[in-house]
Amino acid sequence: MAKIIGIDLGTTFSAMAVVEGGEPKIIENKEGARTMPSVVAVAKNGEILVGIQARRQQITNPKNTISVVKRLIGRRFSDPEVQRDKQLLPYEIRQDQDGGVEVKMGEKWYKPPEISALVLRKFKEDAEAKLGEKITEAIITVPAYFDDSQRKATKVAGEIAGFVVKRVINEPTAAALAYGLQKKKDEKIAVYDFGGGTFDISVLEVSEDTIEVKATGGDTHLGGEDFDQKILNWLVGQFKKDQGIDLSQDPLALQRLKEGAEKAKIELSSATETEINLPFITSDASGPKHLLFRLSRLQLEAMVKEYLDKSLELMTQTLKEAKLSPKELDEVVLVGGQTRMPAIQEAVKALFGKELNRSINPDEVVAIGAAIQGGIMQGEVKDVLLLDVTPLSLGIETLGSVSTVLIPKNTTVPTSKSQIFSTAADNQTSVEVHVLQGERPLAQDNKSLGKFVLDGIPPSPRGLPQIEVVFDIDANGILQVTAKDKASGRNQSIRIEGSTGISKEEVERMKKEADLHAEEDRKRRELIDAKNNADALLYTAEKALKDGADKVSAEVKQEVEEKTEALKKIKDQDTIEDIRQAADALSQALQKIGAEMYKQKPEQ
Amino acid sequence: MMEEKKTTEEKKTTEELQQALEKAIQERSEYLAGWQRARADLMNYKKEEMERIGSFMRYGQEEFLLKLLPVLDNLERAEQQAAESDKVNPVAQGCLQVISQLREFLRSQGAEPFETIGQKFNPELHEAVGEEAVEGKEPGTVIEEVEKGYLFLGKLLRPAKVKVAK
Repeated sequence: MAKIIGIDLGTTFSAMAVVEGGEPKIIENKEGARTMPSVVAVAKNGEILVGIQARRQQITNPKNTISVVKRLIGRRFSDPEVQRDKQLLPYEIRQDQDGGVEVKMGEKWYKPPEISALVLRKFKEDAEAKLGEKITEAIITVPAYFDDSQRKATKVAGEIAGFVVKRVINEPTAAALAYGLQKKKDEKIAVYDFGGGTFDISVLEVSEDTIEVKATGGDTHLGGEDFDQKILNWLVGQFKKDQGIDLSQDPLALQRLKEGAEKAKIELSSATETEINLPFITSDASGPKHLLFRLSRLQLEAMVKEYLDKSLELMTQTLKEAKLSPKELDEVVLVGGQTRMPAIQEAVKALFGKELNRSINPDEVVAIGAAIQGGIMQGEVKDVLLLDVTPLSLGIETLGSVSTVLIPKNTTVPTSKSQIFSTAADNQTSVEVHVLQGERPLAQDNKSLGKFVLDGIPPSPRGLPQIEVVFDIDANGILQVTAKDKASGRNQSIRIEGSTGISKEEVERMKKEADLHAEEDRKRRELIDAKNNADALLYTAEKALKDGADKVSAEVKQEVEEKTEALKKIKDQDTIEDIRQAADALSQALQKIGAEMYKQKPEQ
Repeated sequence: MMEEKKTTEEKKTTEELQQALEKAIQERSEYLAGWQRARADLMNYKKEEMERIGSFMRYGQEEFLLKLLPVLDNLERAEQQAAESDKVNPVAQGCLQVISQLREFLRSQGAEPFETIGQKFNPELHEAVGEEAVEGKEPGTVIEEVEKGYLFLGKLLRPAKVKVAK
């Protein structure tokens, strides 16, 4: 069946996605990019350029390079928004005979849908090349506040591009679909969309079969680019203070500053401090000048506080219009690249008092949601075969009460996994297999699902027997654990029902506990590892002394014995550093045995 | 108990059994098809995954090179601004040699700079950052390279930033 692609036709950037094998994924364009600038141009040689190429020549051809046409599509020329944008746009616009808008590109006048169609046509061609099949159907997204005329114009743009537009859906609705929120009946969702050039808020309500828009708000001229500009202004100001040179008059320096500002902003989403390092930014009579500043996350947050506060104020206002208090919302979805800023996430989280949906790339989430809408219409996204996953890790208890995981959490079932274990002592003839469930590193902190003993292992030195433990979970979540001694072929097993059917609350509790104790567990685990290591070393030392009794000098023998005693004394204490030191000392002494035995070898 | 159960089972008519069998056969082929499909999906997925891994590796290398290029850009800015009198200094000579070492390294990793000056502006490879009227230069030709452009294994890694004649 032909695929339906989902398109996020954005003001500054656009993206497309498709559902394949039940999973939505972004389709890269011909240039290998996951998003594309929504820019179209007629080059000086008459060629039509779309996307990144149109952007690259914008500076030499501003009058014939059309960007942000989404601000004009489907609007009347007399619209105050259009009149306001007219002042800002570098290209010419005029009123057409029906009172709509026309833009001039090259020698021709175009209607906005014709411009958007060029972007959409490139998407169509790139998608066909990438997917290797003809694509005719599409879902296109629009802002929730778009009126009928704007929606119609967007649909027309799709049709001009050669698509059958199956549906025009709201961007916030698409974002909600991407997170699967359409399944949550009677829930209220807030979508906070902070893009490059626009800020949109929507309040949605999920009812039977539909997602309804309850209220919209925002600012069509507030976006991440304003944040970059703040940093840029700061850099220019600082440099002027330091060097007395105004970089804002130097277009080439400005270009580098702009890139540096954006890079700094992005870095401050993950780091708390960054360096803006632009050597040879300019020069004067005294020689080259370099720019080097440090910018902290806190400084950035202070710089853009007005934008952040404004966005929250608009959010509160929109909620008021929907007659809702922040606490009444069930879900909050973040969209748009600027929402990667930690201060925004914290502020939005604090406003609503709940966790945010932000796991999907915020630049791609709308296109992903549009693709899912296409998938639903096509019947691709139905839960044909619901495969369960293991909610918690499953494993067995090993030496030192450590929980060793065989099947990690979130593994899709049915599945099976095997691992070879061995004995911990010489002549050990039986092992106990203790099956555990949970995320904690120590056995006692996890849930015990059952235990059994495998006996009849032929006596042999520790570590030699090979005991294969197999975990097998079938599609019904029934866990079968089998232990088999490879030498004797003896085996023993246990069947545990309901290893996946554990209540959601219990899973959450156990995961939370694991997070809570992560640090202390890690320390305990390290201590146990050190003790196990010490045990193994003591065993080796005793064996080496016994085996090499006649080949080793009394001096070395004495040293090993001393170090062995020292380690034995300390190994049951809980001081990890001491154990490690004593173990290292013994290990070094042991190497001397090896060295002496090698020296003697040629004589033998 | 066993006896009783047996008699109820015997009570099932041949027709019912026939139906049950047909249903079982139908289900069997459905499940077999589903299983085969799942096996095939996995095989195909593995193949695609290998391709994906290849492109990921390439992508990883591209990302790395893209982050390294600005360092070379700045070194080359320094090289360009170094006066001839600076270049007789042995330390400066050594540093210039380090710059060519870095250039050579990038080349060995597959990143090749390309020529721009004097060529016709081409948005596939060039990004215009300025325009100037220059006598004797045909409008639309590249007159100055502000930042070098690079190809990676024959594909555009980074466009060159150029000034174009008006």
